Amino acid sequence: MPRPKHRSRSFRKVFRKVPGGRTVLHLQKQKPKMAHCAQCGAVLKGMLRKRASLLRNVSKTKKRVSRPYGGNLCSRCMRLKMVEKARV
Amino acid sequence: MMDVGRVCVKIAGRDAGGKCVVVDVLDNHYVLIDGQVRRRKCNVAHLEPTAEMIKIRKNAAHGTIVEEFKKMGIEIPERKSKPKTERPKKAHGQGKKEKKAAAEKPKKTKKAVKEEGIESKVGAKTEEAPAKAGKKNK
Repeated sequence: MPRPKHRSRSFRKVFRKVPGGRTVLHLQKQKPKMAHCAQCGAVLKGMLRKRASLLRNVSKTKKRVSRPYGGNLCSRCMRLKMVEKARV
Repeated sequence: MMDVGRVCVKIAGRDAGGKCVVVDVLDNHYVLIDGQVRRRKCNVAHLEPTAEMIKIRKNAAHGTIVEEFKKMGIEIPERKSKPKTERPKKAHGQGKKEKKAAAEKPKKTKKAVKEEGIESKVGAKTEEAPAKAGKKNK
């Protein structure tokens, strides 16, 4: 019987092979959604898809792309924004 | 449009949003740029030209471009390249072993312990012996 707190659909089931040879069911929290562009909603590339608590120890370069608006806008939307700024 | 001296805005990559000037036209698609961005070859599609023009020579030095930008009211901070430091050459896992060896104290073998004990006893006797001899003489 799983623990009462694990009796929920919010946990995903992961089968792990333990050193003893058995396969054990681990219950983990669900992965967060992929990061999306704030303007067009496209999936952002180069972003880690992990829970915030795990991202705390990850370097900044692994969490976002190194360009203005990196990690917030996709490259296409960023370009449009830059063109707008240059024309104004 | 993309002639030497044309001020543009870079719209792609990590230097996006920075103002730059065309220093050299390499071919139909590529130009050499410098300014608020790193001096480098750049695709014309990654640049948005502005109406401004600067009077510079082809292949002008970075210093002259900095001065021209200053006149326009744009300050370009000096970029200092870090001096390259050589990495210590280590075989895989060698560093850890060395550290361990340094941390560990030299272990005393049984023989060494025995010898030390004998020496200390002998030393004590030799020190006592002349004292006794002195007493006898008195």
